[in-house]
Amino acid sequence: MPVIETVLIYGVIPLAVFVILAVLTLLPGRGRDRTKYRPGQPWTAPAVWYEPHPGASGVVGGHGSDAHGEGQHAPGLGATAAALAIGEHPHEPHHGIGDHGFADHDAPRRTAAGGARGTW
Amino acid sequence: MTKQTDGYVDGRPDSREPVVDESANPNPFSYQDLARLDEALTMSSKETGLRFTLYVGELGTDTRGTAEGLHGRSGGDTGNSVLVAVSPGQRVLEIVTGSTAARRLPDRACALAVLSMTSRLSSGDLVGAIVNGLRQLSDAAGHPSRRS
Repeated sequence: MPVIETVLIYGVIPLAVFVILAVLTLLPGRGRDRTKYRPGQPWTAPAVWYEPHPGASGVVGGHGSDAHGEGQHAPGLGATAAALAIGEHPHEPHHGIGDHGFADHDAPRRTAAGGARGTW
Repeated sequence: MTKQTDGYVDGRPDSREPVVDESANPNPFSYQDLARLDEALTMSSKETGLRFTLYVGELGTDTRGTAEGLHGRSGGDTGNSVLVAVSPGQRVLEIVTGSTAARRLPDRACALAVLSMTSRLSSGDLVGAIVNGLRQLSDAAGHPSRRS
């Protein structure tokens, strides 16, 4: 086996494999600078408020815990799409109007029943 | 970012590069982060039947009061909704549960989720803390009861 062939097989090929693996490992993570937050830094971003995706079947009309949530997907869209979608309620008259928990009046009443808080 | 006075050392203009460039992107989360948050919120809401919402921003001086006010205005069935409010600037995390949600998600479960979230938050992993906190909350709440 000539020397050049030996070098190619035992030197260049392993090196090429190494370089390919290194590129595949390092390139995908290079672009994302995900830790924009560091403790102690001021938070200058505007406040955001995220809601679950409207298509989530468990939260239809806010009555998911009553197991009504399985059959109907469309009526719940409005109720979860925006915080002020009060007009959604006429779409579900079969739910039993006497049920508690309808946010018909958005008056500042106390809705919190529990929870927890923490600092870091 | 404009040059600002370095009050810690000698009061002269600080020429160092800022650690966090706030002016670059008003949105604090990248698209991957947003996708993770969306999936976490949606999946936890879907699994439990509770309505999880996530607030990230200032909570004022009375953080608990602000968070409860937000919970009251969160729309839908507030009794069935859970608000996770994070104020990274103040280093405060509040979880508020509604009346129905509190039966499925007792305060102890919330406190446990808060504990694991704050440990991640203290290392700067904001999105990871939220995603794992939501997962923990949904695990604690379990599936909705099938009564019909």
